[in-house]
Formats: sequence, structure tokens, C-alpha cells
Amino acid sequence: MKRSSRIFDLIIGVGLIGVAGFAMLYFLVNERFEWIPEQVLELARDPEILKRPAAKKCSECHKAIYEAWKDSRHSISWTSENFIEASENHTKEKCLPCHIPKSVRGEKPSPRLNLRDEGIYCVSCHFIDNKMQGPYDLLAPPHPTFRNPDYVRSKFCGSCHQKTFKEWKATNVEETCQDCHMPRKKGRLTQKAGFNLLHKKRWVGDHRFLHGEIKEKDVVMEAGWEENYFIISLKNQTIPHFVPTADNGDPRLYLYIKFFNEAGEEVDKAKEIIAPQQETALPYNKKIQYRYRLFDKVFKAEVELKYQPAWSKEKTTVRAETVRR
Amino acid sequence: MSFLRIILIAAAFIFIGILPVHAKDMIVKEPPKSLSKYYPPESKQSKWIQQMHKMSTHFGGVFVNLKEKDFENVDIHADKLVEEYKKTSEMVPEWEDYFDIKAAEAFAAAAKTHDIAQAGKASGKLGKTCGKCHAENEVSVWAKFHWPSFHKIKVTDPISEKEIEFDDYMGSISASFKGVTVNFGEGQYDRAAKALKIFKSRYMELKSTCSKCHATQDVKRFYVGQDADTAFAGLSQELDSEKPNPEKFWKNIGLLGKTGCKHCHLVHRTNSFIQEMWEK
Repeated sequence: MKRSSRIFDLIIGVGLIGVAGFAMLYFLVNERFEWIPEQVLELARDPEILKRPAAKKCSECHKAIYEAWKDSRHSISWTSENFIEASENHTKEKCLPCHIPKSVRGEKPSPRLNLRDEGIYCVSCHFIDNKMQGPYDLLAPPHPTFRNPDYVRSKFCGSCHQKTFKEWKATNVEETCQDCHMPRKKGRLTQKAGFNLLHKKRWVGDHRFLHGEIKEKDVVMEAGWEENYFIISLKNQTIPHFVPTADNGDPRLYLYIKFFNEAGEEVDKAKEIIAPQQETALPYNKKIQYRYRLFDKVFKAEVELKYQPAWSKEKTTVRAETVRR
Repeated sequence: MSFLRIILIAAAFIFIGILPVHAKDMIVKEPPKSLSKYYPPESKQSKWIQQMHKMSTHFGGVFVNLKEKDFENVDIHADKLVEEYKKTSEMVPEWEDYFDIKAAEAFAAAAKTHDIAQAGKASGKLGKTCGKCHAENEVSVWAKFHWPSFHKIKVTDPISEKEIEFDDYMGSISASFKGVTVNFGEGQYDRAAKALKIFKSRYMELKSTCSKCHATQDVKRFYVGQDADTAFAGLSQELDSEKPNPEKFWKNIGLLGKTGCKHCHLVHRTNSFIQEMWEK
């Protein structure tokens, strides 16, 4: 009885020491990592990480971010069929800086020569001036990490998305690119066993770089008749940049209008191509009007708005309606 | 001899040596296949033009430093020039005969005397080897490797929404343009107005087409810009009016032709013809 009691006490004691040790370590790692001597950290450094490695290397710790990035357009910026075709098999110089950027830092980057298949990868955005940078100052033993507030500012994305950045800036809307395209969730930056428990949860941006779908609520449509004209207007009321938007890609909204007579026969049709490259994209919160002369007696118009992203030939319907006279 | 005269003599040797290009020497023949490996997509960078720049920099470096009496750097540039010249001579076997290694070495030796007149004289023979190759190949190399090919561009026709070859698209623009002008000439204004919608849609699609190569708005607008907007607005106004004014109509047609069509054709057609000859 006495012996088993001692063993029990020992287990409790070891347990308490373990919990206290873990609590101290947790505190140290998350709140006072500057107390840890640099010589100690040096022992844990992985020099390969500071040699601009492929994304797979980063995934050894940052698995969740890596997997989100793998799902993103950024990860296939060099290898997608659409890009290969549009860049004439990677020969167009104008495409290179942003499809294989060496370092993104608030201005048009330079293209890199190595690891081109990785596209816009971890190192492009997080390894600047030979330092690993991100939105937090934190302890990451394999590599020193430095906080850079630019990671939550639109200007950072504007390095490549320059036209969209200017459009956004002109709207004076506070939400940044990251707010909509990298929505943050509480989570751990590392998934490596053990380390995931030592690091506290933080707000982590979605590295799929979400491409917002254009929905019916985003584009307001008004239509009416005026003598021998059909008048329709569209307004982008929710998205604080032009819709669609692109610096060099060619995403489009197609506005199809079919005119019918009283017998239900199609008598005429019209089409608008709403595209950044044609300078016809919809600005934020501004009504754009289109007028169509009617050459026949028209009873109704069927209107359909479709969206085609830059990387696809497929169109999806944003809204469709019938306007009767 | 005054320093200025020496410089002038040296400059004369350089220019006579490097630029002996006369109209009779000009040849436009397709560059050898082996050159392709120094340009994308076979190479990650445009290695050939980089090589030309290296040689040009070292050649210029010799004279800049002779003028500045920085003889240490004269020697460095002279040696580097020979090194790069030899390297270049081995890059494209079909062009091996253009190179004269002895002339390059003689130039380097002359440069190392630090006598600008001697260097200038020796540069003549070397420069001629550059000039001969440039006369016979420079236009072709630029046409093949530095100008994007129109024949690889595909355009989505805004009317059919089918992707077609650039040349075919030009044909369809031309046909829809004639739909406007022929109908107008016949007094069939409603038909001309309908044809104008199609023509305008195809013409404006060119903004997307231009953006496949041109990254800046100003360049795109040089071809399809304010003049095109003005012309189309004027044409629509005339065709929607009860009695269209032919003078205004043709003035706007002329504006489209003189700005958009002519601007693009003047800049791009010659090169496109050369590429077309090689690609067919």
C-alpha cells in the first residue's frame, strides 16, 4: 500500500513537473522567445531553408499552408496549360516577372531562373533580403522569422496586381486584398508533431488566394424601354475594384440580350463584352448604361450575364432575367 | 597629335569597322536552327543577345578606359573581349566562319599597348567580322527571336465566340467593315447600322489581342484608343439619325483607318510578312 502510494506520488510529481515544464516552454516560445540565446537557436537552424528551397521543404512544418497553396492559382502560375498557351510556351518576357517572381516586395518583381515550375511559391513572397518574413514576429527554430506589416497591406499584392491595386485604392474602401482573398482563421502555423502544440493559435490567411465568384447580388441590373431603344444598366455594387479585373489576363463578363416579338420569335440579339483588356469592366459602385436600337417590334428581351475567368473557356451564369415591354 | 584627333581617329576606325552595312549587303534569311537553343523556350533567357552585349561592353570598355587612362581596366576588358569572342564563335557552328580569333587577339594586344591609335587601328579588322555577321543576320535574328509571332496569336471572335487564327480574324474584321461601308454606299442604313455593331465588336476585341503582348495601356491605346471611340460614336450617331450625313460618315471611317488600322499595319506588317515566309 505504501509502495503503490509512493509510485502514485511519483507519477503525479513527474506529471506536475511535465505540465509546469510544458507551460514554461509554451510561455517562452510564444511570449518571450527573445530570452532564448541565439547560440541555442543556431543548433536548431536548418540552413537549407535559407537557400531558397522548393515549397515541399516548407511543407515539412507548414503543411496546412502548403496544401492550401497547392490548391491555388499561384502554385500553377507557370505550369497551367492556359498560361503556357498565352505566354507562347513561356517565351513572352512580359509574363515572367509575375509568373515566376524572385522576391515580391511592393514593386514589380524580377523573374527567377530556378524552380520555375513552383510558380509563385513560398520563397517568392516570404524570403526577402535573405530573411524569412511574415505578418508575425515569432520563434521558428529552423529559420529566423521577421515581422513585416506589408503582409496585411494591399500594396504587397499590388506588386503584381498593379492595375487592380490602383482600382481598389480609388474606391477608398478599407478592406484590403487580404481581407477578401486571404480570409483569416485561427489556426496553427505549423503542423509538425510536437511543435504544433508549442505554438499558440494565430490568425492564418487562406493561402488558396480565393478568387471571389461573381454572384447575382454583386451586379445590380436595371432595364427598360424607351421608344425604339432598349436600355440596360449594370452596377458592380459590392466588389471594391473593377469587375472583372486583371493586369494582363483576359477575364470577361458577357452580357447577352435576345429580343423577341409578340409571337415569341427571336428578331434580334446583342452582346456586350465586359473585360478589363477592353476597358469595359464595371467600376465599383457606378452604373454603366448600354442602349440598343430596336429595328423590329419587340415584346420582350431575355438578358443573361455570364462570367468567364481568365484561365478558362467555361462560362457561368451570374444572372438571367426576362424584361417585358 | 592632339588628344581629340586621336579620339576621332579611333572613333572612325570603330564605326567604319563595326558598321560596314550597305543596302547591297542586306540579306534576310532564316537564322540557323542551332541559334534557337540560346532563346526561349529552349533557353531560360535570351542568351545570344546577352552574349552580344557582353562583347559590346568589353569592346567599348577598352576605349572608355583608354580615354580615362585607366590601363588596368583596359587590360581586363581586352582579355574579357577575347574570352567572350572565342566563346561566341563556338556557340553557333553555322556561323563559325564569321569569327576571326586572330583579329580579336591582335586587337587585345594593341589595346594593351595603351596607345589609343593602335587600338583603334586594330579594332577595324575585328569590327569587320562583327559587321559582316550583323549585315547578314541581324534583321533575321530580330525578326525570328525578338518579335512575337502574329501567326501564333489566337483571337476569340466576339461574334461566334470561337477561337480563330489571327490572320483569319483580320479577314473577318475586314468583311464586317465592308458590311458597314457597302451598305452605307447603297443607302441601306439600317443594315449598315447592324453591321456596325458587329464591326465595332470585332474591332474593340483587338484591345484584348494587343494586350497579349503589349502590357501598357498607352501602347494599346495607340492602336485602339480615343480616335476609335470618337469614330465609332460618330458612326453610330449618323446611322441612328433619320438622314445620315455621308461626309461625316466617311470622315469617321477615315479616322478609324488612319489611326487604328494604319498604325498597327505600319509597325507590324513588315515583320509579320518576314515571319510568315519562314513559317509557311
